[in-house]
Amino acid sequence: MYSKDILKTLNKGNIDIGDKIIILEKNKEYEGLLMPRPELGDQDCIVIKLDNGYNIGIKITNKTKLNLVEKAKKPKKEKKEKQKEEKGDITILGCGGTISSKVEYKTGAVYPAISQKELINNFPEIKDISTINTRSIFSLLSGDLNQKHWEIIGKEIEKELKKDIKGIIIPHGTDTMHYTSAALSFMLQNLPIPIILTGAQRSSDRGSSDSKLNLLSSLMAAKSDFSGIGICMHSNLNDNLCYVHKGTRVRKMHTSRRDAFKSINQLPLIRIDYNNRTVDPINKYTKRDKSRKPKIDLKINDNIGLIYVHPGIKPKFIKNLSDFDGIVLAGTGLGHVPTNAFGDKNSISILKEITDLIESNIPVVMSPQTIYGRLNLNTYTYGRQLKKAGVIGHLCDWTPETAFAKLCWVLGHEKKMDKIKQEMEKNLVGEITDRSVVL
Amino acid sequence: MSKDNKLKCGIEIHQRLDTHKLFCNCPSIEGIKVNKKYKRKMHVVKSEISEIDKTAQFEKKKNTDYVYEFYPRSCCELEIDECPPLGLNQEALDIVLEMALALNSNIVDEIHFMRKQVIDGSNTSGFQRTAVIATGGYIETSKGKISIELICLEEESSGIVKKEIGESTFRLDRLGIPLIEITTGPDIIDEEHAKEVAEKIGMMLRVTGKVQRGLGTIRQDINVSIPKGARVEIKGAQDLNMITKLIENEVERQKNLIKLIEEIKKKIKVKKLKFLIADITEIFEETESKLIKNSIKKGEKILSIKLEKHKGFLGTELLPEIRYGTELSQYAKMAGVKGIIHSDENLEKYKITDEEIFQIKITLDLEKEDAFVLVAAPEDIGRNALEKIIERTQMDYVPLETRRADQDKSYFMRPIAGKARMYPETDIPPQPIDNIRMKKIKEKKGRGLEDTKQMLEKLLNKDLAKKMLKSKHLKLFIRLVESGHDAKLVANILEQTLTELRRQGIKIEKIKEKQIEKILEEYKQGVIAKKAIIEILKYLTSEKGSIKDIIKKYKLNKITGKELEKIVKKEKGDIGEIMKKYKLTVDPEDIQSILKNKQKIK
Repeated sequence: MYSKDILKTLNKGNIDIGDKIIILEKNKEYEGLLMPRPELGDQDCIVIKLDNGYNIGIKITNKTKLNLVEKAKKPKKEKKEKQKEEKGDITILGCGGTISSKVEYKTGAVYPAISQKELINNFPEIKDISTINTRSIFSLLSGDLNQKHWEIIGKEIEKELKKDIKGIIIPHGTDTMHYTSAALSFMLQNLPIPIILTGAQRSSDRGSSDSKLNLLSSLMAAKSDFSGIGICMHSNLNDNLCYVHKGTRVRKMHTSRRDAFKSINQLPLIRIDYNNRTVDPINKYTKRDKSRKPKIDLKINDNIGLIYVHPGIKPKFIKNLSDFDGIVLAGTGLGHVPTNAFGDKNSISILKEITDLIESNIPVVMSPQTIYGRLNLNTYTYGRQLKKAGVIGHLCDWTPETAFAKLCWVLGHEKKMDKIKQEMEKNLVGEITDRSVVL
Repeated sequence: MSKDNKLKCGIEIHQRLDTHKLFCNCPSIEGIKVNKKYKRKMHVVKSEISEIDKTAQFEKKKNTDYVYEFYPRSCCELEIDECPPLGLNQEALDIVLEMALALNSNIVDEIHFMRKQVIDGSNTSGFQRTAVIATGGYIETSKGKISIELICLEEESSGIVKKEIGESTFRLDRLGIPLIEITTGPDIIDEEHAKEVAEKIGMMLRVTGKVQRGLGTIRQDINVSIPKGARVEIKGAQDLNMITKLIENEVERQKNLIKLIEEIKKKIKVKKLKFLIADITEIFEETESKLIKNSIKKGEKILSIKLEKHKGFLGTELLPEIRYGTELSQYAKMAGVKGIIHSDENLEKYKITDEEIFQIKITLDLEKEDAFVLVAAPEDIGRNALEKIIERTQMDYVPLETRRADQDKSYFMRPIAGKARMYPETDIPPQPIDNIRMKKIKEKKGRGLEDTKQMLEKLLNKDLAKKMLKSKHLKLFIRLVESGHDAKLVANILEQTLTELRRQGIKIEKIKEKQIEKILEEYKQGVIAKKAIIEILKYLTSEKGSIKDIIKKYKLNKITGKELEKIVKKEKGDIGEIMKKYKLTVDPEDIQSILKNKQKIK
């Protein structure tokens, strides 16, 4: 936003964003289109786009003159196309994110707006692989998604499952895509067809975007013999291969690389080579089966906390978690928290506070902040203390995010502590494995 | 060049700055080592008005894989487009601001980086980050003021190392090195003037002491047009001496092209020509032509088109050895073919027989005045190539082009880039330039070209002053002189001694600036004699150990005081004799002062 003074001047001169203006100073003169003000930088600087395409900022003082040269032409209103019921093999349910974000080229602002139709217009190769239906559920960056959105997506999938389609693709922001994929895995079990989440690490406005390969590979995955919830993203830094990862065993492991998504504690399920149009299974998965009846339970509890354990974590902090319906701890090592097992004078235990939570009927679930590996609460004293206190998760090899999504789902329909513990520690959709495979 | 051509000419200078990369902390070094590579695709992206930029569309047709090679010491995730920029290199910005002051330009109050779309693969992200730092300004030249239009700060692109059908390989080490881009107005009067302007701006850059030196660190792009011609941008003139010739040749090329177009127009309405691409592979089933035979063996096709009434035009020379056919061929090459064969060429050199030519003529329904073009390539590439040629023959004007300089001639690279390809780089916040910063830059900035010139002329003779001004050691020279060393001695060592040593085959690149400084310090302190300086320089290239060690090892300590007096006495004051015997350890001045003292005593 421009400063009040500038806005006043602009108002006075009947100048709006997009108008051609001239800025006159003592010995200088700049002509260009008035641009919106980015949030950062000097709000007293006017940003104009020069004729050569460059933007520059010019400070406005009481000596500067601002004149209107030409009003901007009003953009033609784009006709909104009515969404027709199409009949394609694959349904694309848009949820926003970088993969469907659009750059407003004038301002450079990135927002999740590209319609699924535009996506297809941008990538006509889609037609070579499959016929499609597209629908946008919402347009948000994934950092803003929560349990409500998982439910909404779940409902939309439920609708689609009643139709005669081969698979579903969900373009989604990458930040929390693995939370969504885990949650959907619990909410929608026993699926007859593939449901593939995909995204992009480089926005579609850049020539180097990974969105095209991810989308086209997802399309291949959605037509493959896979079934269930998967995430399909770049497998490495080349634009050649994508992996399909199991929805409950995948995690975003890098802030920005295009191969950020990694399968945790197991191999990915499928390797997709779009350029050569091949789909190679590399791990076991349940095959598609049209006759399989899906088990759908979309109820979910959104009052769950995921807490990262750290040195010096305060008992008071844990005590204050009593407003939650359930807690997931990302513990150190094999699943630990400070319990002052050796009675050291400088150590502080949070064991009592954890015990209190459990006793007040708030389940506490352990998960590994090491991400890789399996929890084991038998090895060290504090593990044994936690296990005795009733902490859930001994011998589980889930990620913190999957444990969190599972607890949200389990608490959506279960209230009794012993049942909760039983259901949590039982493998439902591949979130817990019984063998630690050496990879 | 005659004045009636009314040449319009401006230049763009790109100079690498001597600091780390623009948006990360990688060093700005170009190496030869690579140990990692990734293969990428580049997509065409629609611009804000849903128009695909002409350049972008052009590249897309080539459907190329891009291989990026790098060495992790000079490249991080940013260069391979795997993370957002870390922030602007402020030192680079300061250098550009200093140059903007020297060029009398108006510095903008706030800098906004833009993404300039480039999808020829030379940038992994698909765009180049660039910003206007200043507008306006001028420099004085012998033929009047030359205006400065724009001063930008931008990222260097990566360098192409290999180009094959369907695959281009780039090396990433230079990607992201900060570049200053200085664009002059189209006020240059003639080709000599262009050289003068380029030379002057180049020197202004170098006297700051803050720009990289050496091959490839400075490049000139030239914009040339003549009446009835078109603006042509010639990229990458590295040698100042080439500039004059390049401009001269471009003017000649445009003049001849205008003439040729007139002649073609007299014969035909080019825009109404009908074209049909014919697959004539069959004709060459038993051909003697190696080129065609090999192509067919690889499963490629021989495709051909008729160019109505073009006989003779293809062979018309626009410049020595550059025919109209060469121009067409350049367009075709952009589609990925290695070249074309056309009927105005001597087809015997390809071993194409008269019988084959006859068959082509029948297939294409060729009449006397028609010409043909054929390509040997994979079918889709071949078709694209011929389509490019059709497009080019339909241009009844001098096309706006970006051309690549090669020695004194230029070759078509791509259509000139449209305007639609720039949008804000939102990963880098706008950067205000405040008065405090500008004050600091004014205080810290070096002498500038004119002052430096005057200073050198005061200190040195004319020749040496001129040499020093252009020297890569200028910065060191100024530093040494400012710390009290004798200017003539320093200039001689830097400009003459080092060159001589190099000619003798001594690897002077092993000598570090700091070492030269230290040797001169030893001389100033009276530890060594003047003649020992060269000796120590020589030893430095072959010996380990410090300068002090070398002085000790080779007994290069200067003889002074009583010891020298003894020698003078022994040799009866014969300076020649003394210098012969003790040439590396005695300064003649010292002997003279002893002799003078003696006379006084007497």
